[in-house]
Amino acid sequence: MTAIDTAVPGRKPRARPTFYFRYMVEPYLYLTPAILLIALVMLVPLVIGVSYAFQAVNLLRPFQSGWVGFANFEALWTDRKFWLALTNTFWWTLGSIFFQFFLGLGLAMLLNTQFHGKRIVQALVFLPWAVPTFLSALTWAWLFNPTIGPLPHWLAALGILSEPFNILGDPDLAMWGPITANVWFGIPFFAITLLAALQSIPHELYEAAEIDGATPWQTFTKITLPFLAPMIAITVMLRTIWIANFADLIFVMTGGGPANSTQILSTYIFTTAFRKLDFGYASAIAVALLGLLLIYAAILLVLRRKLVKI
Amino acid sequence: MRGLIGAISALAFLAGSAASAETLKLVEVITSPERTEVLQEQVDAFEAANPGTEVEIVSLPWGQAFEKLATMVAGGDIPDVVEMPDRWAGIYKDKLVDLNDKIAGWDHGGTLTQKTLDMGRQTDGKTARMIPYGFYLRAMFYNKKLLEEAGVASPPGTMAEFMEAAKAVSALDGKYGYCLRGGPGGLNGWIMMAATMNGDNTFFDEDGKSTLNQPGSVEGIQFLIDMYQNGYAPKDSVSWGFNEIVAGFYSGTCAFLDQDPDALIAVAERMEAEDFAVVPMPVGPAGKAFPTIGFAGWAMFDTTSNEDLSWKLIAHLSSPEANKEWAKRVGVIPIHEGAEQDPYFKTEQFKGWFDTLNGEQYVPTVMPTYLEQFGYFADSIALESSQEALLGEITAQEVADKWAEFLTEEYARWKAAQ
Amino acid sequence: MSALRKSSPLAVTGKYLALGFYVAFALFPLYWLAKIAVTPDKLIFTEGTALFPSRFTFENFGTVLLATDFLSYFKNSVFVSIGTAAITTAIAAAAGYAFSRFAFRGKRLIVALMLITQMFPLLMIIAPIYKIVAAVGLLNSLTSLIIVYTAFNIPFATFLMQSFFDGIPKDLEEAAMMDGCTRFEALRKIILPLTLPGLGATLGFVFTAAWSELLFALMLINSNDTMTFPVGLLTFVSKFSVDWGQMMAAGVLALVPSCLFFIFIQRYLVQGLTSGAVKG
Repeated sequence: MTAIDTAVPGRKPRARPTFYFRYMVEPYLYLTPAILLIALVMLVPLVIGVSYAFQAVNLLRPFQSGWVGFANFEALWTDRKFWLALTNTFWWTLGSIFFQFFLGLGLAMLLNTQFHGKRIVQALVFLPWAVPTFLSALTWAWLFNPTIGPLPHWLAALGILSEPFNILGDPDLAMWGPITANVWFGIPFFAITLLAALQSIPHELYEAAEIDGATPWQTFTKITLPFLAPMIAITVMLRTIWIANFADLIFVMTGGGPANSTQILSTYIFTTAFRKLDFGYASAIAVALLGLLLIYAAILLVLRRKLVKI
Repeated sequence: MRGLIGAISALAFLAGSAASAETLKLVEVITSPERTEVLQEQVDAFEAANPGTEVEIVSLPWGQAFEKLATMVAGGDIPDVVEMPDRWAGIYKDKLVDLNDKIAGWDHGGTLTQKTLDMGRQTDGKTARMIPYGFYLRAMFYNKKLLEEAGVASPPGTMAEFMEAAKAVSALDGKYGYCLRGGPGGLNGWIMMAATMNGDNTFFDEDGKSTLNQPGSVEGIQFLIDMYQNGYAPKDSVSWGFNEIVAGFYSGTCAFLDQDPDALIAVAERMEAEDFAVVPMPVGPAGKAFPTIGFAGWAMFDTTSNEDLSWKLIAHLSSPEANKEWAKRVGVIPIHEGAEQDPYFKTEQFKGWFDTLNGEQYVPTVMPTYLEQFGYFADSIALESSQEALLGEITAQEVADKWAEFLTEEYARWKAAQ
Repeated sequence: MSALRKSSPLAVTGKYLALGFYVAFALFPLYWLAKIAVTPDKLIFTEGTALFPSRFTFENFGTVLLATDFLSYFKNSVFVSIGTAAITTAIAAAAGYAFSRFAFRGKRLIVALMLITQMFPLLMIIAPIYKIVAAVGLLNSLTSLIIVYTAFNIPFATFLMQSFFDGIPKDLEEAAMMDGCTRFEALRKIILPLTLPGLGATLGFVFTAAWSELLFALMLINSNDTMTFPVGLLTFVSKFSVDWGQMMAAGVLALVPSCLFFIFIQRYLVQGLTSGAVKG
């Protein structure tokens, strides 16, 4: 925004607001409600929540709390369950994002073409995002249960499982249950955002490429991807952060078990906070998670800047 | 204008406080539509008998009740009267009013069974933090049809027979012997087996050390591990909770289920009476069995604004008639003497529990719920380590040692605070 | 894509197959949900894996509508979701406009702060928020839910609105302001009508998010009168058994508004994000 008056000759300009007003004050007039609300309802509790990590806080004994410095973090470092949950969180996030993203990208590219019934297909295929996660977790838990769901039987028929059993009870396979539910839930998110990005790519570029004899692969990598890159960066970052914090599906489908094989940091925070009632330690875990996500976001932003330059 | 507003708010305040002078908040934590209905009926009767009083029932969803109540209490939204399960008494005990004097001055205080009074005072042996409304006692459900099909002549009386019978049923296609509760809430099963094989159910010896890693107890733990690893329990029973084991039983997937009288209600609704029966838990090498006994009751928070009225409500709910009705509809063993003479409790299905109560070889086991971290132990530590053991990741001895270590420490802490 | 290249029949078949797979994948769990809702109680376990129930019944729906408090939960959810959607969209529109049109000091910081609020698990701030809400006396009120949901949804809604505003040339307001309007008047009279699809999309998105929120509704609401439906679904899980048929029937009923809303606005979401995507 410049401060230079671009006055149309012949017309008397109204007294323009000063530079100071437009640069320093006016934006904030529009931003104030948002900032106020977020500060009061999110940031203040967040600071309080983070402060718990440095105290010993038991939910029901408010008079026994005291500042313990880094004691909670020291305990965290030697906590086997924490590292296990961290590893699980990594696989959970990676598995979910990988499939969601590529399947979502595929769907977006399909939707970017012409075909019969496109309106209906587009509307139907985005529905999973509108389903409450509690409900979808229950439904998927049902689908995976051999007594009341078809999936184990189909998987056994396909040879993927040796016999129809509930993968949610098998420590090696259990994580795939929530991942599948998460993929089902998340494909629409990527499909919508990537479709939007795809539609903004000018057609002339594709036509020019075709005239020059480019193969589909070359078209994809040289034209499509660079245009998609900014949107990909934002959506992947945002969705990863949401998924890392996303405990609902796992909590309902496996409860973190069996034997902690699906325990991720979020579910661990929940059990520590609300079963053990130890808010101090739970907060320490949450701060650790927050730190990791900040580093991740920073890396992604740096990467993006580097790529755009290229 | 200001004067008018002031007057109106003063009036509103007066009206509000007058209305709230006789209002009580009652929170139920073990919620189901049936229970809420019975509770509402009894509360209505209370309101009718005490005109001018109003009781608001808050029902917490069962799966989230613990954290909800904890959050409510921590946030200052504390009820007057609360349904208090035995497991939580250790956590809330300092906030609950001592009811000893009130029981002493109560008409029906004399007919309470000794067990009821003992359990109400369990947190430290002296202070009555609650009045139990009934007992949950373990007994063995079995599927008559499956046993017949598998060629098992009669329900098992000993642990060895139990393993054999489970094996026989598992030989049937798609059927299993035992509805193992490997998931949440399964600790009772482990403790029972450990105690039965050990021949003793005291949790702590004279030195204050936990008995859970004594050789006999380890055998009991190994019993369940063998049951699972031999395939006598369904493969995903490692994560089964209450709903799954009961569903497994009434859908005919597994033949044996160890549960309390409240499961009877769910099972009886979905199975024909002649297809199942209930017997006491099988005895171990010492000729004894140690079914776990649990309870829940009514307690009063010390922040209540109207202690007398709250007590009146508790007394009403715990009176012999109300308690008997409650026990029938909700599935617990009633608290006043003479209750078992009632025809309802004399049926074949209920026989299993009353045989247990009356038989000398069946010694009820009370869980050490007075330990503050016991709930956490049962819901997290025991759950995860028992699952690891079932899956073969750790041995029975390792599990036993882990549990013994934690409980010994907790016990020492409790003793020091006495 | 291109009008020059003719697609081979193989490619076309492949495309329709792929689309079919996506649609089937998206709809199958929803079908299963509906199937359980119409299966009579006794058959739920015995016919568990069948693709079609042998007997249909609508009694689950009947029970849910008439015998439970579901209608009241539904009403509360509608109130909260629409309230949240409306307020969030208004605030996010203002904030998104600011991000789109101005370069100002502190912009990076505010964006960073908004991002951070998404990273911290909501569990941890439940206790502080609970205390604050209790202190203000708003416990058990739907207003508290609206306030909390709004705060949490503002970041993403702002991002959406910013994209929509980016798609509208700045010259429009400039021209209007030159003719004597204040910026705000220009915004109201000229720009907003152009962003109606964007507003609709944001409304729908926030509505869907608020509709299915469970954690805060569970913790901040105690009384039955103000319960929202996700918490209501939890009450179907009781100690004795899970009323699966009824729960799924309630689930189907609850799905209808959010799905309808979403079907309506998804077109605008794509449209609106398109213009902002390149700048993203």
